[in-house]
Amino acid sequence: MTARAAISRDERRVWLIIAAMALASLLLVPFSQALFGLRFTYTVRVVALGGAFLGLLSGALGCFAVLRRESLLGDALSHAALPGVAIAFLLAGRELSLLLIGAGIASWLSLRFVAALLATTRIKQDAALGIVLASWFAAGIALLAYIQSIPDASQAGLDHFIFGQAAAIIESDVRLISVVGLVILCLLALLWKEFKLVTFDAEFAGANGMRTGLVDTLLSTLIVVTIVLGLQLAGVILMVGMLIAPGVAARQWTQKLDQMVILAAVFGAFAGGVGAVISALDSDIPTGPTIIVVASALVLLSLAFAPSRGLLWRRLRQRSNRRAFAARNTLRDLYRYALAHGAANSPVPDRFIRGVRDRGAELGLRELRGAGHVGLGEGGWQLSESGVKLARRDLHNQQLWEIYRLYAHELDLPVMEEDREREITSLLPADAVAKLETKLAEGADP
Amino acid sequence: MMPLERHLIEFLLNFLTREELNAFLRSPQNTATLIGGLIAVSGALLGVFLLLRGLSLTSDAISHTALLGIVVAFLLMTSVFGLEGDTSSPWLIIGASLAGVGTVLLTEMLYRSGLLRQDAALGLAFPLLFAIAVILVSRFVDDVHLDEDAVLVGEIGLAWANTNSHCFDHCQSVTVTEDHPAARMTRQCVNCRALGINPRDSRAAFVEVCGNCGDYSPAQAWSAGLLERAPALVFFPKSITVTLAMALLTLAFTLIFYKELKLATFDAGLAKALGFRPALMHYALMVLVSLVAVGAFDAVGSILVIAFFIIPPAAAYLLTDRLALMLLLSPLIGALGATLGYDLARGQLFSLLPVARAIAFVNRLFGLDLIEDWDSSISASMVLMIFALFLLAWVFSPRYGLIAGALRRANSRRRFADQVVLAHIHNHQGSPQAATELRVDTLHAHFRWTRRRMARVLARLRALGWIRIVSGGAVLTERGEDQVHRFRRSMLEAHNMPTPVK
Repeated sequence: MTARAAISRDERRVWLIIAAMALASLLLVPFSQALFGLRFTYTVRVVALGGAFLGLLSGALGCFAVLRRESLLGDALSHAALPGVAIAFLLAGRELSLLLIGAGIASWLSLRFVAALLATTRIKQDAALGIVLASWFAAGIALLAYIQSIPDASQAGLDHFIFGQAAAIIESDVRLISVVGLVILCLLALLWKEFKLVTFDAEFAGANGMRTGLVDTLLSTLIVVTIVLGLQLAGVILMVGMLIAPGVAARQWTQKLDQMVILAAVFGAFAGGVGAVISALDSDIPTGPTIIVVASALVLLSLAFAPSRGLLWRRLRQRSNRRAFAARNTLRDLYRYALAHGAANSPVPDRFIRGVRDRGAELGLRELRGAGHVGLGEGGWQLSESGVKLARRDLHNQQLWEIYRLYAHELDLPVMEEDREREITSLLPADAVAKLETKLAEGADP
Repeated sequence: MMPLERHLIEFLLNFLTREELNAFLRSPQNTATLIGGLIAVSGALLGVFLLLRGLSLTSDAISHTALLGIVVAFLLMTSVFGLEGDTSSPWLIIGASLAGVGTVLLTEMLYRSGLLRQDAALGLAFPLLFAIAVILVSRFVDDVHLDEDAVLVGEIGLAWANTNSHCFDHCQSVTVTEDHPAARMTRQCVNCRALGINPRDSRAAFVEVCGNCGDYSPAQAWSAGLLERAPALVFFPKSITVTLAMALLTLAFTLIFYKELKLATFDAGLAKALGFRPALMHYALMVLVSLVAVGAFDAVGSILVIAFFIIPPAAAYLLTDRLALMLLLSPLIGALGATLGYDLARGQLFSLLPVARAIAFVNRLFGLDLIEDWDSSISASMVLMIFALFLLAWVFSPRYGLIAGALRRANSRRRFADQVVLAHIHNHQGSPQAATELRVDTLHAHFRWTRRRMARVLARLRALGWIRIVSGGAVLTERGEDQVHRFRRSMLEAHNMPTPVK
């Protein structure tokens, strides 16, 4: 029951973070206006809005790529979009929606190519992705070079797809992103169960009659569409960062898919908005890379500070474990020595305890002294009243555990895992404890 | 690099005259093909081990972040140490290699923390480092050699023009001083601007300034017209030296550590137990990948270089199972692709089909009006031709190719059909239902096959002499009987069941 309460507290914490990040993203515009004196021109507003939408979308879908260990698929797919852009331009001219459709087709074909390669050869996924990435991208570059050699073509801006050119984004682009994005999010919600199952246990899904191949392709197609929408802003090279980073960051905070996806979406939106605002501060700072840097900063913060998984908490936990361990062992040594040399509070020579415990003694003594369990007296270390009490209880606990181990079967006690660091009296029902106590008192001294 | 280059040229001059060598190197095609081939050789050799270790995409990450190393080293050079910004400086190579190895260490650190998986660590680390590099470039660097185009595709087509000159005969360095007859002296007003006066003003003071004083190397002296006799010069493209050094280095590394690399790649545990230090091999490999990625940066840019690492080894992997053969095929495929690639960039596909004709066809097909002159990026075309070779290997590989696979499947389908028909006849022969079960003109219905398929199978079985047709019914011959037993035995053995004693 305590475990369930703990989980729900964790969950509440995640929802709180989600709410806070969402609020921060919303307040971003008025805030930075006040703080940096940044004048919000029309362009900045449009770019910030586009960045936030896109971050939201790629964050949500990127979670699936991260969980399916296909992070680098995004990299290959985004590079592979380039020849599609070029061919669409050659066939139909500079019309954004057609360019994006071309990009989507090229990228989708590369997806099928990877699948075919994996199905018919022994080439592994990473090499297959590398092959597709390099050759599709090379085709794009070759076509762009050809387009540039066409004298009067209005090709200016095609190479923006490579590095992204946020400043070129206009209101209708943002509208396109939000409409298509909304459709994608609706599909995500509708097919939630299917996507979840395919992501975590495709074999189980298949065994239950789900057409995993179809669901798989659909999910990858949604990722392709997201990448294509993001090309203008982030460019083919950095798009993978937008896709992956929010998901990885969100993964650190929660164990639940729904929370992870929502949190990643919020992280993505935050990164998109903040990146756009920062790059608006200086005309020499490109927007796409800035968004990636902000998103990566969120990842690093999450890796460091996320509760329970974060490196900082892990380090702290290790430290407190080490201290508790040292303190317990030192206490036992002190107590045993003191009992053997008279009373429980007879002094223990400093040399002895350091000789026994080496560096652990230092740590243990500091801990015990800080808690008032031990003091440095005439002839050495001396347990205080509370120290003696603690040591006695610890010894008693250890003895009960020993009895439990030897006689649990004979005394017909409930079976449980042996964890000697915990109080056995709190783990067993009262009558069982009573049996153990009697056994111990009978002199069945282990 | 310079003395090395000189030795190399001296060696080459044993076989060629100076004029021939210069003419060879001055051709953009020769230079570009040579450089592309050398990059392909070094990339393809290292790529074999990357592929076998499942690290192919690490080369992607390394080549991206090499850019960060180059940019940071460039900025340090120009703004902190006040050196001239030269993109072929060894400091840039060192910086980029450090960045490459740093990326590997960073991803391994992220991965070891257990918080994210390997692919995510890679997908996270290199966009970040690349993004930082792009921001630094657009914020602080205004140099033509570090612009975005160079990052993407390099300048392999211009490599022939960026040379070091070496002098072999009649070498005369000239130092032009003010009293040299060739010195161009001009009078300059020293106080005109300060006083705001015209040089004709009487208050103007003048000094004599030498416009062309300084040290002239033999090549510079000759082109400035300071020498009467032409020095024997060789102009050697810098990129060839760099890529040649890379290729020799990787070749030496693979040859010397062949055994260690092989063991560390296929059985790292055993390698460690035998004291071969597989971790050391791993990092040596990564350092070399970084070096090659950086050496290729000038020529093919930071993204296309991964094609040279990944595609040729993958093609070789489809062609052979032997590591030694793979190490031979992979550079060959890469170099061949690079050679064909130059032709493609200039409009010839496989030296067979002019690209112009393909464009004309597309124009007719879609009613378009695209110009038919195809003049495209050399490095990208090289990658495309390497990819074309990969596709050929995929389709035609004798063991793992699509055609071989299709033939194999068709063959086993045929064998299976033969066996089930034989088994059917064997089971029903001599039984009361034999007359109905084994009638040739209704046999197809028992298998739910088409009549034609069954007719084909029966014809084959008769031709093999395994069945006879006796009064409209199929009968096993002795050899057919034998086939059934053999098949049954092999099936039982395949499933580890005891085989009946005959």
